[in-house]
Amino acid sequence: MRRLFAALVVIFALVMVDSAKAGNPFDYCLLCHGSNANGNVGIRAPKLSGVEPWYIARQLENFAAGARGALADDAAGHEMAPVALRLKQEGMLDAAVKFIGSLESGRPHATMQGDTAQGKKLYEACAACHGARGEGNAALQSPALAARSDWYLATQLTNYKTGLRGADERDSYGAQMRSIAATLADDQAIADVIAYINTLK
Amino acid sequence: MKRTLSRRDFLNWAGAVGGSTAVYRAAMGIGLMPVAARATQPLLTASGKSKKVLILGAGISGLTSAYELSKHGYEVQVLEASFRAGGRNMTVRHGSRIDETGYPQACNFDDDPDLYFNCGPARIPGHHVNLLGYCKELEVELEPFVNDNRNAWVQDDAMFGGKPIRAREYLNDTRGFVAELMAKTIRKDTLTGPMTADDWDRLREYLRYFGELDPQFKYIGTSRSGLAMHDYAAPEVLKAPLSPSELLKSKFMLIMSFGETDDQAAMMMEPVGGMDQVVAGFMRKVGHLVQLESQVQRIQVLPRGVEVTYRRSGEYLTTRADYVLNCIPMHLLAGIEHNFPAEYSSGFTAIPRGKLFKIGFQMKERFWEREGIYGGISWTLQDIQQIWYPAHGIHRKKGVVLGAYTFSPEAGEKFARLPPAERFKLAIAQGAKIHPDYAKHVETGVSVAWHQMNHMLGCAAQWEEPLFKQWFKTLQAPVGSHYLIGDQVSYHPGWQEGAIASAHHALADIDARERAGGTQVVHS
Repeated sequence: MRRLFAALVVIFALVMVDSAKAGNPFDYCLLCHGSNANGNVGIRAPKLSGVEPWYIARQLENFAAGARGALADDAAGHEMAPVALRLKQEGMLDAAVKFIGSLESGRPHATMQGDTAQGKKLYEACAACHGARGEGNAALQSPALAARSDWYLATQLTNYKTGLRGADERDSYGAQMRSIAATLADDQAIADVIAYINTLK
Repeated sequence: MKRTLSRRDFLNWAGAVGGSTAVYRAAMGIGLMPVAARATQPLLTASGKSKKVLILGAGISGLTSAYELSKHGYEVQVLEASFRAGGRNMTVRHGSRIDETGYPQACNFDDDPDLYFNCGPARIPGHHVNLLGYCKELEVELEPFVNDNRNAWVQDDAMFGGKPIRAREYLNDTRGFVAELMAKTIRKDTLTGPMTADDWDRLREYLRYFGELDPQFKYIGTSRSGLAMHDYAAPEVLKAPLSPSELLKSKFMLIMSFGETDDQAAMMMEPVGGMDQVVAGFMRKVGHLVQLESQVQRIQVLPRGVEVTYRRSGEYLTTRADYVLNCIPMHLLAGIEHNFPAEYSSGFTAIPRGKLFKIGFQMKERFWEREGIYGGISWTLQDIQQIWYPAHGIHRKKGVVLGAYTFSPEAGEKFARLPPAERFKLAIAQGAKIHPDYAKHVETGVSVAWHQMNHMLGCAAQWEEPLFKQWFKTLQAPVGSHYLIGDQVSYHPGWQEGAIASAHHALADIDARERAGGTQVVHS
């Protein structure tokens, strides 16, 4: 019994000492989103570094408000939603966005293949808002599409199509994307347009 | 809402990943393997003097490696991303912190040595000789763990209108009916294979004992299923056998032999005071080598040695070593910057991550003991799947019950999506189908969704046969001086014994290299 107690004391001491040492709370972002938040396809966590701060902030707000990631079938969104809510409740949302902005962004690996010629045609519908080179347009609140996790862009297009994203009335930009995504006929069309986006610099 | 259960699920549930077990059994059959389990503990023969090994992750495989290497003179440094050591070997008790992404929790159990909950591994079978060997060496006190209890309940909405029945009734009445059916239908003239007509009588006699049939080979009930009452001043009254067609409606038949499987059969053990006493035992030896809250960001395999960059308190730090033993879960490693060849690193995302989920409830009264249940598991085909009763602290006032342990990824995700309070509500509603007064006994709970736990984000790697064939050897082999370890690179994922085996495998390889001349010293 005494030995057990001693062991427990050791464990508690370890826990106490290390909880007291406040590390950087945003290191948790890198746990899922990878080194320099360059994304981790293994757990479906997209690249965040290089993404426009205003876009990240808006998505965190949407997650926190339940306007995104609240539907039962959106497993990845469900993992993000409570994190965003805590950041918001603890007044750390802006600091989180700033932290992501401080990271060194690397070019993500392409993971998807498609017909880039076909994708180029389909991309014409995207270019008006997201720019001919996928560079984004802050005035229109349209994020850049080049140098993002390609599998993530594909997932989001599918989510828009199926209503897992953008169906909430508070997400007006999402509603716009829903109507555009609806014009992509099938998974092949999505793969083609993503393959073309992968060629943009 | 009924979930169907496949044979595949069952095999996974039973902790027996089909292929490897099948191979093992076949090997036993042709006499390739020693029948008694033998420790794989490596005898490191080369001196580790002036060699540095960096270990990424202080789970069981990392701690095993640190312990063995430091015993043999290697310089050892362990980087652990979490605030605690142990990996999935995690016990919570009064004041523990549950570091879940999005839903961090505190454990509010009373401060009492019997009130703890094993969130990860919770039982040790007698043939896990490596783990048991370390328990002995590290003076981790063990006690019996009750895994299988015939007095516990079986509940399925599909049978008997959802009313729970005792496990002994399900098991023995089913057996009785099957034995009767076989005894009546098996014909002397159709016996084939190793059986001959001469065996007919002996086979029928076997069936009589197997199912406890009457002289006419009819099943009329058995005391194995329990007596109608236990008034020993009055004559015994057998319970009437349950309806076979009701019994067959339940898919419980897929798990009724859970307690017979290689890793789940009696006698099993647990450390006194919680499974993390194993971690505490290792930490007493190598705790000074473990650096917590150090999250790896970059791994570069060099022509000689390995360079690793990690973050600690928001700063980047870089270190080099002759060897790296890495038990970071592969699905997390996939997001870490590295220079591994693609044919190796593509494997990191090829093996799906497990999504097991557990709930622990502190009960204000050990009500199950009034039902004759002392330890063991009640099974239900609802989402919660199991209720475990503690075999320690018997007849004390309170106890910690396992209120949910899901094996299917769908059930795990369903619970994980909910905030903890909602998880508890769901688990209590389902538990009430087994114990009607369940809710009123619950004082406080903890929940652990392994695929949302920080620094793990998954449970055991979900290896299956085609994946083993395609990836296992590649991932088990070193890249330069970098070795993947952990239960994730063992043929026994989800068990500490598998984690230890992976560590021993890597250590034996390092030892062979050192004996052959070793690598150059590269650490800075």
